[in-house]
Formats: sequence, structure tokens, C-alpha cells
Amino acid sequence: MGSEEESAVKEPLDLIRLSLDERIYVKLRHDRELRGKLHAYDQHLNMILGDVEEIVTSVEIDDETYEEIVRTTRRTIPFLFVRGDGVILVSPPLRTA
Amino acid sequence: WTSFSIMSGATEKSSTTTKTPADFLKSIRGRPVVVKLNSGVDYRGILACLDGYMNIAMEQTEEYVNGQLKNKYGDAFIRGNNVLYISTSKRTLGDGA
Repeated sequence: MGSEEESAVKEPLDLIRLSLDERIYVKLRHDRELRGKLHAYDQHLNMILGDVEEIVTSVEIDDETYEEIVRTTRRTIPFLFVRGDGVILVSPPLRTA
Repeated sequence: WTSFSIMSGATEKSSTTTKTPADFLKSIRGRPVVVKLNSGVDYRGILACLDGYMNIAMEQTEEYVNGQLKNKYGDAFIRGNNVLYISTSKRTLGDGA
């Protein structure tokens, strides 16, 4: 890692630290999204989230009409450990939520 | 790979230089960039910072799936293992090309 560079330069992980104890949006692999409160994280982007909503998106294609049917499945989880290797993107919550 | 040649199309540089990838990463902070992920999704925004793992922090980020604008994020942190490439662009705000 570039930690030997000037200490004034911030790493992306430093900026995630600003979101601690805030609600965040997480995009995961396999068409999953999470919204919850960030309690902890590490350099692998393992995270502890509280009061989480998980949204799973699946797209079916109708055999006859070939139209795409987009379904979302939601569930809520009070306390969740997220393994970092599934994380794609982390952001403050979207306003359109 | 230890080095690559940069051909300029950008406005500031007007010569061909050979730099290491680390030099490139240092030089592009604050610029509008295109980040393409392994999944094919495109993110365009202003690069805030990045590290040697290609973890990325961006501002004013737009997400393009199949060329279509899907989402906008005020700040976005992208886990480096998902990144296929980071490219500079002459993008201005609102330019969807």
C-alpha cells in the first residue's frame, strides 16, 4: 500500500471512516444491495451493519414474450456482518430511496 | 508490467512519456475519470483518491449499465478487486457519452 507517501494524502478507506455511525448504501455482488448503519469496517471492507435492509434483484425473461420481469426481494436484518470480498461499492444513501 | 507509454490526447501534456503505473495513479487525482468494473458496469465521476489496491473514492459519480445511466452517487467508494480499468476522460458534467 502507498502508506510511505506523504501522510496528507488520504486513502479511499480514510474517507469511508467519515461514514462511521452513518447510514450507508452498499452494492454487493450477485445483484444485492444493503442499506444500514455502518458500525465498523476494515481494510478488506468487511463491515458490521445495523438495522439493515437487503434488496435482492432478479430478472426473469418470459419464454414467450421475451420481456424482462424484474423482481426485488427485501428483508430486514438487525445486525449483520458483511464479508468484504462481496462488496462492490459503498456510498451515503441515495436520495431517491 | 512495470511501465507503459502514455500517448497524450489530454490538453496539458504534449509529449509521449514513459511512466510507471504508480506515477499514473498519482497524477490523476481530481480529474474526471471512467472506472470500468469487471462486471462491465461503468462509473464516471471526479476521482477523489485511490490506493495501490485500486480502491477508489469518487465524487459526483454516475453509474452506467449497458451505456444507460442508472444511478447517481454523491460519493462512491469502489473496492479495488472489482476494477478492470481507470481511465481519464474529458467528461464534463451532464455528458452522458
